[in-house]
Formats: sequence, C-alpha cells, structure tokens
Amino acid sequence: MLRMSRAGLADRWTLFVGALLSVTLGVALVQSSLLLLISAATSSLEDGDAAVAMLGIMLGGATFLAGFIISSTFAFTVDQRRRDLALLRLVGGSRSQVRRLLLGEALLLGLGGAALGVPAGLVVMDVQEWLMHRFEFVPEGFTGQWRMWILGVSVGTGLLLAIAGVLVAAHRAARVRPLEALRETGPAARVMTAGRWIAGLLFFGGALALMIVAPHGGPAGGQAMAMNVAMPAAVAVVAFAPLLVPLLARLMPFGGGVLGSLARANVRDARRRSASVAAPLIVLVALVVGNTGAGTTFTTSGIAEVARSTRADLVVQGRVPAGFTDGTVSTELSLPGEITTGQGEDQETEAISVLVVDPAAYSAVHTTPVAVRGKAVVAGPGGDVPTSGTVHVRLPQGDLGELPVVGAVPATMSGGANLLLPPGLVPEAQLASASAVSYVALKPGADPAAVRTALARFGPVTSVGDWLKSDAAARNDINQKVLLMVLGLGALYALIGVVNAIVIGAATRRREFAEARVTGLTRGQVVRAALLEAYAVTGAGLLLGALAAASALIAAVATTSAVTGTATLDLPWTLIGVTALVALTVTGLTSLITSWSATRRAPVTLLAARE
Amino acid sequence: MTTTLILSQAAVALHGVSRVFGRGPSAVHAVDDVTLEFPRGGWTAVMGPSGSGKSTLLHCAAGLERVDTGRVMLGDTDLSAATDSQLTALRRTRIGFVFQSFNLIGSLTAEQNVALPLRLAGKRPSRSVVRATLDAVGLADRARHRPRELSGGQQQRVAIARAMVTRPEVLFADEPTGALDSTAARTVLDLMRAMADAGQSIVMVTHDPGAAARADAVIFLRDGRVVDRLSGADTRQVADRLAAWEH
Ligand SMILES: Nc1ncnc2c1ncn2[C@@H]1O[C@H](COP(=O)(O)OP(=O)(O)OP(=O)(O)O)[C@@H](O)[C@H]1O
Ligand SMILES: [Mg+2]
Repeated sequence: MLRMSRAGLADRWTLFVGALLSVTLGVALVQSSLLLLISAATSSLEDGDAAVAMLGIMLGGATFLAGFIISSTFAFTVDQRRRDLALLRLVGGSRSQVRRLLLGEALLLGLGGAALGVPAGLVVMDVQEWLMHRFEFVPEGFTGQWRMWILGVSVGTGLLLAIAGVLVAAHRAARVRPLEALRETGPAARVMTAGRWIAGLLFFGGALALMIVAPHGGPAGGQAMAMNVAMPAAVAVVAFAPLLVPLLARLMPFGGGVLGSLARANVRDARRRSASVAAPLIVLVALVVGNTGAGTTFTTSGIAEVARSTRADLVVQGRVPAGFTDGTVSTELSLPGEITTGQGEDQETEAISVLVVDPAAYSAVHTTPVAVRGKAVVAGPGGDVPTSGTVHVRLPQGDLGELPVVGAVPATMSGGANLLLPPGLVPEAQLASASAVSYVALKPGADPAAVRTALARFGPVTSVGDWLKSDAAARNDINQKVLLMVLGLGALYALIGVVNAIVIGAATRRREFAEARVTGLTRGQVVRAALLEAYAVTGAGLLLGALAAASALIAAVATTSAVTGTATLDLPWTLIGVTALVALTVTGLTSLITSWSATRRAPVTLLAARE
Repeated sequence: MTTTLILSQAAVALHGVSRVFGRGPSAVHAVDDVTLEFPRGGWTAVMGPSGSGKSTLLHCAAGLERVDTGRVMLGDTDLSAATDSQLTALRRTRIGFVFQSFNLIGSLTAEQNVALPLRLAGKRPSRSVVRATLDAVGLADRARHRPRELSGGQQQRVAIARAMVTRPEVLFADEPTGALDSTAARTVLDLMRAMADAGQSIVMVTHDPGAAARADAVIFLRDGRVVDRLSGADTRQVADRLAAWEH
C-alpha cells in the first residue's frame, strides 16, 4: 500500500503541495514557538507573561490551522479522486485498503513536512524573535535556545498533524462505491452532507448566541464575546459554502460572450471546487475584518464615551500643584497594586491599578460623583472589583489594610483604574513614584494659549481629545500586538489554503481544459475563462466573509450601544481594501499560473489516455 | 453423467432479478424480473437498444449493483446476500472486469496495473506470472509504459490482462471494443475468443453485431427484459435480429 501511496504522491504531487506546505509551516511554527516558550519560561524574564501568552496562542493557532488546512485539502483531494479510489475498489481493493492508502499518503506527507519543517523552524524562530524584540515582548539579548529533543517533537507534530487531518477524509473515501469508477465525470457527490448541515447549524447557533448575549456582558465581557463571534460565524458560513458560493458567484458580473457563460456554467457545476476555494477566503475576511473592525469599533466607542463624560480642555502629564487659578484641576496619581477579597477558602488576590484622586475635582471633570473620603474607596471605571464590602489593598511600598468600598463610578468601555482612593490615605513618599495625569478644565474667559504655556512647566500638555486617543492606544497596545501576530498567522494560512484549492482544482481539470480546447477554444480563452471563474468565486468568498464579519460587527455595535448608550461603528477601511486586493491578486495569479501550466501539453495527448 | 452436471451448472444465474432507479411515476425499471443463466465456459453477448438495461444487468450480475428483488448466484455463492468485504474478496479472486473506458491507474505502469489485483489480495505477484499475462495479450514489450504512452487498443489489452491475472471464473466486459477502431477491436475480440475456447466464461455487453457474432450466444434486452436469444449466429443474423427489436 505504501508503494501505491508513493506512486500516487509522485504522479499527483500538485494535489499535495498545499498540504505539504501546511504541514511544514505547522511543524516550523510549533517547533519555533515551543523553543521560544521554553526559553522564555526558563530565563526568568522580568515581564515574560505577555511573551508566554502570545507564544501559547501562536502554538495553539498554528496547530489548529495546520490541522484545518490539511483536513480540508485531503477532503478535497478525495473528492477529486473518487474515480481513482473507486477503480481501486473495482479491481479488488477493500475499504480498509483505501483507508490505508490515504493514511500512507498522510504518513509520507507528515514525514516530508517534518523534514522541511525542522530547518524552516529555525528561520521562523529568527522571524519570531525579531518580531518579539520589535514589539517589545522580550528584552534585548533574549534568544531562543535549540534543544535536541525538539527533533522528536517536530517529527511527531508532522505525523500527528497529517494523520489527524486525513482521518475524516479516509473514512469518507472508504465508502466510495466501485461503480463510481465507470462514470465519465465524477458523480455530483452529495456536497451538503449531514455533517455539514449539523456543523453549520451548530456553529450558526453558537455565533447567534454570542451575538445576543454580548450586549448584556458588560464592557469587558461584551468585548470578549464580540471578538469571538467571527470564528464560529465563519465556520458556519464555510459549512454552507457549497450552497451559498455558486448562488452568489453567479450574480458576479461575468461580462457577456461565450467565455462569460462558460465560466458561469463552471461555477454552477463545480460547487465543491468553488466552495473549497472560497472557504479559506471566508475565514480570512471574517477574521481580519470582523476582529479588527470590532477592535477599532470598541476603541473609538471607548474614546467617545470618555470624551462625552469629560469636562476638561487640557491634559498635563505631570502634577499641577494647588494654587492654579485659571480653572479646575483634577490631578490623578496612578499606582500598581494588589487587592485581596473574600475570606478563607474563597480568598482571591489580583493585580489591579489604583488611582489617587481629589473627589471634588474628579467629580467635576469626569461628571460623576465619587464618595472617597477617609478610608472609604470607590470602584473605578476599570471595574473588576467589588462595589461594596471591604477589600484588602497592598501597594508596592506598603500595606493599606482593610478598606471599605462605598460605591462605584460607571465602568467604561476603555477601562482604566480599578479602584479610586482618597488623598491622604497613601503616604506622600509612596506617591513620588506614581505616574501623574492632570485634567484641566479652563475657567470661562481664560486664554487657552497662555494657560497652555504656563502649564508646560509641570509636564507635556495636550488637548483632551489627543490625550484620550493616545491613552486608549497605549492601553490596547499588548492586545493589539498579540492580535496582529495571530491574525497575521491566520491570514498566511488562509492564503495557503486558497492557493492550495486552486492548484488542486486546476490539476484535476487538465482533461476538462483539453476538451474545451478540442471544442475550439484557444489556450488563451481557456485560461481567461478559468480566471473569470476564479474571480467570481473570490468575489463570492469575499462577500460571504463580509457576512461572517458583519455578525461580529453587529455584536460589537450592540455592545457599544448597551454599554455607552451610543451605538458606534468604526471600520478599518484601509485594511479591508488591502485584504480584498490581496485576495484578488493571489487568486488571480494562482489561477493564471495553474491553468497555464495545466494546458501546457497538447490536448490530444490528454484525451487519448483514458485513465 | 457427472461431467454434464458440472458443465450444465451456470457460471452466473439470475433468478427474478429487478433493479429500479428512482421512485413514483418517474421510476425506471432498468432490469425487470430477469431470470437468466450464463453458461460456464461460454461466451455470452448481451445486446439491445440504448437504455435497455444492458449495463445495469451486467453490474447486477457482477455484484457491483444492488438488486431490488431476486437472487444472483455466482456458482453457488449468493451475490445478492454478500457483504461488502465478501464482494471485495470475490472481485479479487473470482470476477474480472473490462470496461469501455479502460480504467487503468495513470500513475502505474502497465506491469504494475496488471499486478495490482494480486497485490491488493495480499499476494506477492511473481514477475513471470505478470509478464506471461501481458505476453498473452501481446504486450510483453510494453510492460514499463504508462497508460498515456499506450494506444487505446493497447490500453484495453492491459485492462484485459489485469482482469485475467487472477484467473477469474467469469470475465464481465461492458462494450470492451466501444472505444476502439476496427483493427484494434478485432485484436481484442480474437483475444477473448481464444480465452473462451480455453474455457473462460465471458459475459459481454456490446452494440456491435460483429462483436456479438464472435460470442457463443447472444441475448437481446428491451426495456429491462430478455426478449430473445440466438446461438451460433453470424454477424448478418445478429444485425437483423437487433434491427427487429430496435423499434
Ligand atoms: N444510477 C442510475 N440512476 C438512475 N437511473 C439509472 C442509473 N443507471 C441507469 N439508469 C437508467 O436505467 C436505464 C438503463 O440504463 P443502462 O445504463 O443499463 O442502459 P444500457 O442498456 O447500458 O444503455 P447504453 O447502451 O446506452 O449503455 C436507463 O434508462 C438509465 O437512465
Ligand atoms: Mg451501457
């Protein structure tokens, strides 16, 4: 069986390039992430948590995506090879032999992927290291260390990814009936299988539930839920792709003429192929547009919310001393701290940030009453702490003891300090290390330019609008970087998936192309019809991806409306444009190259062999 | 006495076999209550208008298609009651197939294609057996060629060699000469005639009266039923009978 697997791979290697590439990339990423993770975890890094978390996400993401692509590649190739597999059954192959044939192919792919993945992993590690330095996850001088045992892990990863990826396809292949070998064109095997319906409905339900619940989840919960809508929505749309893609693709402008109608007929006829090309595009658009769109929406909504409730004109990054007479000043001092809540078994300690404020000035500037006085504290806009009872607060340089919590200011979208403390509770010596921000509301009639100059003595001065923007950006920094790296990875995989599907499609279409040419089409016309078809399918994929992304955006808008009272939507148009452009370029180029090379041999040689 | 008994036992026997495609008013009775025996050691041709159920009958007789009613016996094995793995085992040992579109595996050489059924059966095919089988179809010198490097007639002869390498009890052929020109077709028919003379049971569907005339007997199908049979007829007689049934 292994010999047949090898012959099959050698003869139809184009079908497997994409799968090999995904195994290679999967092995490389797992190896590199794992080495860096071990190095970061054992090197007693100051601030290693973010790095470890990021690497953990990369590790999981790479494994999941590699598995996803490999299994969809195998599912697709099995569909395209039904006749071959049926033929094997016809001449006496048993079901388990068909399964073993595919497992053998996966085994070889796994080994090949590992062999390429180990050296590729070293390159990937350089890139990841560079990115981690660049994004300041790790200090200068941090490097990943090579471990010998990783070789075993990498080979194991390659085999596991490939074998796990092929299992479903092998099961499906074993049910191919011998008679299918006799049909000239593969039967329109049922594309909407029961599994697809179930998965589609299940994930659709999941996405819908998240969309409904997100607005009720509060600022933090709502954001987390909205950011998780895109993935299940994408999976649901992908499951229904064989129904939806041909439907949408036919609506694309094909132009008139014989090529247009040929392309349109092909899209309708080859639902499975169209769906396979569109699927990774749907995931790509849903992930990139859905998640970054939800992210920018939340950021913009957070800034607008704070801006609406803030009555200030200027912000000084420093302490404005008492005695400033041109307006109200709320000087706010921020310190890291620890809070312990609960008793005995239920006791919990958390890292928080505290803000020492002047209650009267804070109330005036942020238009919300704060009842801090004496030892009484209030939950801040960052939430996450009890709003009544007592809490035990510790600061880096001293224990503040048990403090009563007497209220809360409204939690905001963009978060902020978790606890507000009255002045006088923290000794002045400990406040020296605090970072200070002073909000200044000008008296009517004061000259902004003059005040600005006067305030410059105490620290850099900005308008309140600019300050809110840069503050929100700084707060989202780590999240954005992690999101960026993970999205980048996802996008890379999705593109491999697209290329893969087109290559497989073209490789199995040689005969169809040859028939079109003997019918009277020139090579150029065949290539152009294939290109038209690729564009129609890409367009459909982009639209469906946008549909999945829209569900994430609806959840985000509903959440901003519920939390801040104003529905906000802010879309990253440049990114959307770039994504669409990249998708169209990649599918266009791949289609051109593959259909050009698939029509290289003279049509008669292809039609003569009835294999 | 004993000899006649064995000889008269059919290679394949169909008892009241029906196969219906679809349901309700649009149902097609592709094979309609057919009872028929294909004799052991004989070559039977099946003819009839297009859509008369010839291929379906062949598929049912070979255990490739489930029957809705009736029984199919291969020797004393009931094909209609066999499980998938039993049918798989039969295809490896007792049944061979040849089809109009030669159905060779493109990534394998002629030799490897011929050896495939044996390897699937877990046997280690000796090179001499494979070569001898290829030699029998006159292709000993093409053993290392891939299907796309062979002519249509040569590909069909490789397919016959593949079907014969397991020494099956019955060879089923669906329009084996349908895609060949008359010279290539004659080579293939000569080969099958020689096999039948050596005692091979053959069931062949064909459109070509010339091909059918090479067989020992011809049966005629129409609308899924056996309507006529001839034996020892020449091309002319077969063509006349076919024309009579085609309208
Ligand atoms: N899988 C199938 N599903 C539905 N109908 C079928 C199927 N296979 C065959 N039929 C129908 O059964 C009837 C007999 O078909 P069959 O292929 O046996 O005819 P045939 O005699 O071999 O014709 P031809 O000479 O054209 O090959 C036809 O009407 C055909 O449409
Ligand atoms: Mg037929």
